[in-house]
Formats: sequence, C-alpha cells, structure tokens
Amino acid sequence: MAAPQETTSPTRRTAELVVLVVLFFAFLAASAAKGRPVGAPDDWWLARLGVVVAAGLTLIMYSFLYRDNPLFKIGENLFVGVALGYGVILTWRQSLRPEIIDPLFVDPPHIHAFWMELARRSAPIVLGILLLTRLSRRASWLSRYSYTIMVGWGAGLGIPVTIHTYVLQQLKPSLGLISKALGDTPAGQQADLWSAALPILGDVIILAGIVSVLFYFFFSVEHKGAGSFVSQLGIWFLMVAFGASFGNTVMGRVSLLIGRMRFLLHDWLGLGP
Amino acid sequence: MGAPPTQAALRRLAVTRRIIYLLVAVAVAVPSFCDLGCEFKPSPWVEKIFKKVESLKPGSPILLSFDFDPAAMEELYPMGLALLRHCFQNDLHPILMTHWPGGVGISKQIIEKAAKERDKLPGRDYVFLAFKPGYSNLVLNMGESLQGAFSRDFYNQPTAGMPALEGVRSLKDISLVVGLAAGATTEMWIAYGRDRFGFDLGAGCTAVITPDLYPFLNSGQLIGVLGGLRGAADYEKLVKRADRATKGMQAQSLTHVLIILLILGANAHYLWRRTRPNEKG
Repeated sequence: MAAPQETTSPTRRTAELVVLVVLFFAFLAASAAKGRPVGAPDDWWLARLGVVVAAGLTLIMYSFLYRDNPLFKIGENLFVGVALGYGVILTWRQSLRPEIIDPLFVDPPHIHAFWMELARRSAPIVLGILLLTRLSRRASWLSRYSYTIMVGWGAGLGIPVTIHTYVLQQLKPSLGLISKALGDTPAGQQADLWSAALPILGDVIILAGIVSVLFYFFFSVEHKGAGSFVSQLGIWFLMVAFGASFGNTVMGRVSLLIGRMRFLLHDWLGLGP
Repeated sequence: MGAPPTQAALRRLAVTRRIIYLLVAVAVAVPSFCDLGCEFKPSPWVEKIFKKVESLKPGSPILLSFDFDPAAMEELYPMGLALLRHCFQNDLHPILMTHWPGGVGISKQIIEKAAKERDKLPGRDYVFLAFKPGYSNLVLNMGESLQGAFSRDFYNQPTAGMPALEGVRSLKDISLVVGLAAGATTEMWIAYGRDRFGFDLGAGCTAVITPDLYPFLNSGQLIGVLGGLRGAADYEKLVKRADRATKGMQAQSLTHVLIILLILGANAHYLWRRTRPNEKG
C-alpha cells in the first residue's frame, strides 16, 4: 500500500506561490546588495555571477526540505546533466588526451617515437575499444576478451593482497590476548597496573566481539542456551558498530551543511567575521 | 496492521520535521556570528601523524594523495591545507597526486595556496603530479619507478632530475605517505602500497568512512587517522593555525548537542505515550 500523502488546500498552494515569488525577489535583492570590493580584479563580476548561481541552486536544493517542488526537480536534473558532462570532459582531459592523443600525435618528435609509443599503448587501446563493442548487439561478444583480462588480472593481483591485508595482517591485533598469553609481549613493559590492564581489556573486548559476531552469522547450530547468549552479545557488538558508523555519518552530513551555510552567509551574503 | 495515519497526524509530523530542519539551520548558522569558545583536545591518532611529520628532516619527501573531489571538500580541504602548511613549515618536499580525476583542480588550489604563503616553488620545493589513471596498478608502478609512472608533473616539467625529487626513485624511498580519501583509496594504499613497499601510511578521510579504518590502526597498517572535520580541526590546532575546520567545529558541536537533545526528547515523548492507558506504541 502506498504511504498516505499530506494534502494541501488550494488557498495554501496560492500562499506558498506568493511566498516563493517574494523569496525570489529577496534572493535577487540580496545578491545585488554586495558591492564590488576596492581593488577587485576585472573578472570580479563573472566570479560574482558564479557565486549567485551557486547560491540560487543551493537554496533550490534545500527547498526540498519543505516539500518536493518543480524548482527542486529542475535543480536535480541540472545536477545530473552537469555531472555527466563534467565526467565526459574529465575523462577526455585527464585520461584519453594525456594517455593516448598527446603521446601519439602531439608529443613524439619523430616517426620512430610514434611507433614506440603506439607499441607501448596498443594493448590498452585495443582492449578499451573492445569494451565499446558492448554498444553493438552483433559485436558485443568481442568485449568478453577485455572483461576476461580485467577479471583475471584483478583476481590475480587482488586475491593474495586481500588475504595478506585483510586476513593475515588483521589476525595479530584480533588475537592480541592470545599472543600476549603466549609471551609475545615482554614482561614488565607496562609502567603500572592500569596501563597494563587497559590494553588487555581492549583485547578481551575485540576477541569477544569477533567470536560473538561470527557466531551470530553461523547458522549450522541452533542459537539456544549458551549459544543464544553469545549470539545476543554479537548483536550488541553489531549495534554498537552501526551506532558508531551512524554517528560519524551524521557528523559528515552536518559538515556538508556547515560548508553550504558558510558559502551562503560569507561568500554570497558577505556576513560574519 | 494498525490504522493509517490521519491527515492531522501527517500535518503534525511534517510541521515537526520542518521545525527540526529550522533548528539545525540555526545551530549551524549561529557560530558564524559569535564565538562559542568550544575547546577540544587533539586525538592520539591525529597526534601520531603530526609527530611523524615533525620527525622528518628538512628536505625529506612526503607523498600526499588527495583522493577526493569537491563533494568532500568541506572535510578534506582544510585537512589537506593544514597538512601542506605543516610540510612547508618544516621545509619538507611534498609530492602531491590524486587518484580521482575530479580531484586535480582542488588539489592544485590547495597546494598553490599553501606554497604561496611560504614562497615555495613547484619542482624545487614541491611536486604536483596531479592525476594518472590506473588506481592500484599505478601504485604498483610507482613502487617500481616514480619517474616511470609520472614522467611529467602537472606543469608539464619532466620529473627526472627534478630537485624536489632528489633521491626519490620509487615509493621505497618515501618514508611517509598520507592519503586523504573520500572513498576506498586508503584501503588500496594499505593493500598495494604500504604492505608491499613498507612506508608508513597515515590517512585522512571523511567522517563517514572513518570507522572502516579503525581495524587498520590496531594492526599498525595505519599510523594514524584524521577523521572528518574533527580530524582537520585537530590538525589545525597542532600546527597552531586555526582555520575553517576549527570554525566549523563550533557549528558541529552545537548541532550535535541539538541532535542529542532531540533524540532524548523524542524517546522521552515515546515512553510517555506508551505509559498512557489509551495509547500503545
């Protein structure tokens, strides 16, 4: 069942339209209010226009917080289009031109250099072109050669590295308690009881977390009795981890809002110290 | 299944939501006009990166990888600026690169701003390698030969014989790499760079991905982490140059207090409603 929508009366719609028009003129007035600073460069007006457009689009995007509206839809579609165009230009300027066009057709001083560069780059160029055959139904099978090499290359490089970095290197800190019990840490290294107990407590928590979370995802035995306790403990560890992630996510999103607010208040309106 | 919410309930919910947005906007805006005097102590993981940079001798190379684009600018721009200011202050030779094509413009902006403050010149005092495709393959290539991976810098100068790269032939000649990331490049630097070539690796990242990096701190694969705006503010404090991250932390703290109060208030309201005899849940 679709979620019930909040309905609005025609009177309220008209009132909102009036407020929107007033806000638009207020925006224009606020944009025009900031005068040209003394000694500003000649292209100051151009930079100012960029700031005003960015401020307008920022406000349009935030208008969604009140309600979905046509201006927000325009801003959203504009963003998708600009991002796509920007991506195409970036790929051309940062990848295709410096890696293929310039070395082959601009930089080489003589024909010998051209052939040398072409020999070095022919495999990636051919594999890249083969990927584009996905666009044709009849020739798309050719792209499998590129994918085969990509997958094989990626797996060959990635599997040993992943095992080393994410498993072997992580084993020691995860099993710190056992490692210390086996005498890995020299006796008398810690200065006092507290500084000796704190890392051990940390190791106990890490070990308990790993075992209980792994057990929570282990479905071959029924989680009852002691197993139920360990499984519940695993859930608690997971919840704490999700809470830490969520807290950091809130911090990250607030940081983005702070950035936009600073832009609106300082760069657009020229307010604040 | 319970009865669908009434129009009045939906309207009340919408109004409450908008009030919360307004309160958050006020909480973020207020510190722009007045100093709240929030104090904070740099975290040990930030101090470790700071101390490692401090321990490098003047003229030492330090590789910085700014793998982010303008979407993560608010958190990582001040972090990058503080790091580069620290490098130039200690006369180190930063080598700056990015794995993100969209990160070239912002990286150039940061390094040129920091260099201008100390009259540092490209090629002589720092190297801006900019972007090259390849990702993990590029790191492996840099581990074999830095000049082979980047034959020219951003300003189209040949990297071979560049004074700032004196004594640097590959990643093995660099003792510290710091990667600022808005994605998974830190883990790539650990797997394909640090674990293979043995340099010390520090990380700076957006707050969202900070918890993912904690396991690498315990294992020693990372020497430290600058997490989000707080990490940037910590570093600004350590280099004794308060800038936009320090100012942003005032708004950040006030907003966090507001969010905590809202969570407590909403839960108290929920519990109060549950205790009423005619309403449950």
